[in-house]
Amino acid sequence: MNEYQYDHQTVKGFILSSIFWGVVGIVIGLWISIQMWNADWNIAPYFTFGRLRVVHTNGLAFGLGVGAIFGIFYYIVMRLTKRPLLFPKLARVHLWVFNAAIALAALSLFAGMNQSLEYAELEWPLDIGIVILWVMFAVNIFGTVIKRKEEQMYISLWYIIATVVAVAVLYIVNNLSIPAGLTKSYSVFAGVNSANVEWWYGHNAVGFVFTTPILAMFYYFLPKSTGLPIYSHRLSIIAFWSLIFGYLWTGAHHLVYTPLPDWIQTTAIVFTIFLIAPSWGSVVNGYYTVGSDWSKMQSQYLTKFFIWGITFYGLQTVQGPTQALRVVSSLIHYTDWVPGHVHMGTMGWVTMTTAASMYYIIPKIYNTEIYSVKAANTHFWLVLVGQLMFSVTMWITGIQQGALWKATNADGSLKYTFYETLIKNYPFWRLRTLAGVIFTVGMLFFIYNILMTIRKGSILAASKA
Amino acid sequence: MAGELYNKPILFAVVATVVILIGTLVTMFYPMMRQEMHPKLDNLKPYTALQLAGKDIYQREGCNNCHTQTVRPLKTEVIRYGDYSKAGEFAYDRPFLWGSKRTGPDLARIGGKYPDAWHYAHHENPQSMFPKSNMPKYAFLKKAMVDPPAIEAHMKANDFPYTAADISALAGKTEMDALVAYLQSVGTAVKKKASRVVAEAGARQHEKNPLAGDAKAIALGKTLFAENCEACHGANGQGGIGPSLADDVFFGVKGDVADDDYFEVINNGIEPGMVEEGRVAKDTMPEFKALGKDKIWSLVAYIRSVQGK
Amino acid sequence: MADHFVDDIEKFEAKETAHTLPVGWVILFWALILWGVYYFYMYTPSLGGWSQNSALEESLQK
Ligand code: HEC
Ligand code: HEC
Ligand code: HEM
Ligand code: HEM
Repeated sequence: MNEYQYDHQTVKGFILSSIFWGVVGIVIGLWISIQMWNADWNIAPYFTFGRLRVVHTNGLAFGLGVGAIFGIFYYIVMRLTKRPLLFPKLARVHLWVFNAAIALAALSLFAGMNQSLEYAELEWPLDIGIVILWVMFAVNIFGTVIKRKEEQMYISLWYIIATVVAVAVLYIVNNLSIPAGLTKSYSVFAGVNSANVEWWYGHNAVGFVFTTPILAMFYYFLPKSTGLPIYSHRLSIIAFWSLIFGYLWTGAHHLVYTPLPDWIQTTAIVFTIFLIAPSWGSVVNGYYTVGSDWSKMQSQYLTKFFIWGITFYGLQTVQGPTQALRVVSSLIHYTDWVPGHVHMGTMGWVTMTTAASMYYIIPKIYNTEIYSVKAANTHFWLVLVGQLMFSVTMWITGIQQGALWKATNADGSLKYTFYETLIKNYPFWRLRTLAGVIFTVGMLFFIYNILMTIRKGSILAASKA
Repeated sequence: MAGELYNKPILFAVVATVVILIGTLVTMFYPMMRQEMHPKLDNLKPYTALQLAGKDIYQREGCNNCHTQTVRPLKTEVIRYGDYSKAGEFAYDRPFLWGSKRTGPDLARIGGKYPDAWHYAHHENPQSMFPKSNMPKYAFLKKAMVDPPAIEAHMKANDFPYTAADISALAGKTEMDALVAYLQSVGTAVKKKASRVVAEAGARQHEKNPLAGDAKAIALGKTLFAENCEACHGANGQGGIGPSLADDVFFGVKGDVADDDYFEVINNGIEPGMVEEGRVAKDTMPEFKALGKDKIWSLVAYIRSVQGK
Repeated sequence: MADHFVDDIEKFEAKETAHTLPVGWVILFWALILWGVYYFYMYTPSLGGWSQNSALEESLQK
């Protein structure tokens, strides 16, 4: 049909793969959420909570998140450079290697091959595979951008470039290890130092997988879907540079009150609080953009995905910094408050924004319209309710846990044993499972809508041919 | 100049990388060059082959997804778990296993807290001790055998000292043996301190139980016993992992001891070698000072009632 | 045919407000930096004297 068609099939391949891994990850999310209030749902040895939780986090961060990033970035880059990918075949190979890597990753985690580094659990042979995967991606992105047919690089491209270089540095350094056989290795870093390296990585994995790429999507699809131009270029510039500058200083806010030297913790907290400004730079920019015509919230169904998405990003980037403060950390650290924070970001911001981007892309590459706006709206409300219910119940139980752990009697002794504080979580954990089911039903509407749009588009294309 | 940057992808990528590396250098690479990031307590020992095998299993099973291994320097946390974690305790952990979520309790001071037998029973079936616990059952570890050649390779990769005899001694050990050996080593480089927080509650010379014979206290003691002690001492203190409390044998020697000896044992816990009224303990029992004076005296009152005294 | 896929970069960003910075946001930006200087001073042992271990000792005295 046209010069983009082959690449569009690759983009579609990534989107469908991402959705597939998303389903796997979400089903396991539901499963572990049940295990937390009923241990009988553990099936030893492969399907115990300790092993499944990492399949959930890796499946969603790397399968759903990174898969979506690959596909959507290829799409955005083609649009903004006004040309097809420089290496179309490489992108197709990249798609297959990606799926093979995620499948192997999931199997290896079920088998318990685990470096015990959060978000870098995969053992060294898979790490090498992932680095190769990233290089394939980087070559295509940089090649296409260098050979672009549009002089100026739009904001989204800045975030894409930052993502590509930052993830490479982070992933390689944190995974440096001494192999002890094919399926086992020991980190080159030990003790306190390894903690500092891991959370320098861990926080920025969140930063450069769940933040900068999603902002790249936001800055592209918001003006495209609403027809409204981004409010302030200058604000975009300041927000971008101060965000990528500030992020890398903050890892130690995950290590507040650990044996890590005080000065490193304090430095991290200072920069963490500062991050409110660049994050809200994008939030404000988004609001002002749509502020020129709020009726788009009703008339254009995607607008509300992006505006609610950036709103959760805004809430997330106030809550996150607050958590880093020593007083707050001493109460909520190690409790369920944190999964509450996490899922507002992942369900409310990441999944909302990527789903909306997919809603935009799929009809575009088939030159058609979305199958059902009504289904998209139903999807929206269900994931919104599911997410809010998840986060709110976890915040409550998190504060309760923190408070019960600290409660003392008049004579200075503790009021509650650990076991007593555990049991009090169960009602909230049950509600969380219900919230997850609501969210999942919402996602099923999304998947149905995407598949039906593809069907509709293929029939249309066939009739034209 | 500024405008140029946004037309030159390579320059842009280089500038972005530099911007990213500044925070990285200051908070990650620079500390790494400093001694404060590589501390080691004098009496911290490298893991033995069996302990390392256990640590591998701890990582494989993802125990760190529910358990942390760092006690924060906060008052109630020190009361609950013991002395706060020191930077020098983790030099042999590659990587650290501090964790980020306490679905279960912190394990930084688990070494020496319980007798081995408790761990075997608990891992096999946590619900037998804590009916509503959400910790998975790890009974399969009792049947799985450790693999000596693999462990030897792991010892080498860590550069830990070992002898051929250490490796051959692994033959016949189960994964459960290894896991328990590891847990018993965790956090033991820091000596247990006598309680500072509720110290005045213990160490009282031959004081009578103020709640002796009090019906309410006995009833409370019974509930507390079921929650905290039954897993080891059996229903009504008839004995199990720990000895019977219903008889008049104390630390394996016949003959009764005073109320406050009971208090002390419950408050401070028991370590092998501990001496009470000239009798020497051989086994381990956790301390219960976090319960507070009144609850401990209630327990003593209950034990006396079981003994028929 | 293909022009349907081509983006008009010009239309992505507003012209009139391209250089505007909302005042509230600028205040936030500088206020957070100032607060950071204060907090760094207060909670760095070699400057403000606070350390997490001495804070624990103090709380245990009470
Ligand atoms: C689903 C979360 C979960 C997982 C996974 C888990 N635990 Fe637990 N663990 C708990 C809970 C909750 C408790 C407290 C109740 C109890 O003792 O069963 C506990 C208690 C313990 C205790 C007793 C601590 C004390 O001070 O009383 C030990 C030791 C322990 N777990 C070790 C392990 C090991 C080793 C593993 C991995 C093989 C593991 N746990 C996996 C949740 C978990
Ligand atoms: C983890 C298992 C465990 C738990 C839980 C436990 N104990 Fe013990 N306890 C022991 C062991 C083992 C000994 C024997 C020590 C020795 O003789 O070397 C012991 C000894 C004692 C003794 C000394 C009496 C004797 O016959 O030797 C008393 C009293 C006692 N425990 C009371 C309690 C009370 C009260 C609780 C609950 C608050 C409790 N224990 C909880 C394991 C436990
Ligand atoms: C049906 C929906 C979901 C359910 C029921 C669910 C459930 C859970 C549960 C039970 C945990 C463990 C919490 C704990 O250990 O206390 C968890 C952790 C996590 N989940 Fe989900 N989840 C869902 C969706 C998602 C999505 C869509 C993402 C990402 C895109 C995600 C990312 C994560 C991450 C990163 C963690 C680790 C959090 C931490 O370490 O604190 N989850 N989830
Ligand atoms: C400026 C923005 C943000 C800051 C400063 C921030 C800060 C924090 C802090 C301090 C914690 C540790 C909480 C604790 O354990 O006590 C945390 C955890 C986490 N945050 Fe955020 N947050 C931000 C935005 C986000 C966003 C947008 C996401 C996207 C999904 C996110 C995902 C997570 C995850 C996954 C964790 C759990 C890490 C773990 O323990 O495994 N955060 N965040």
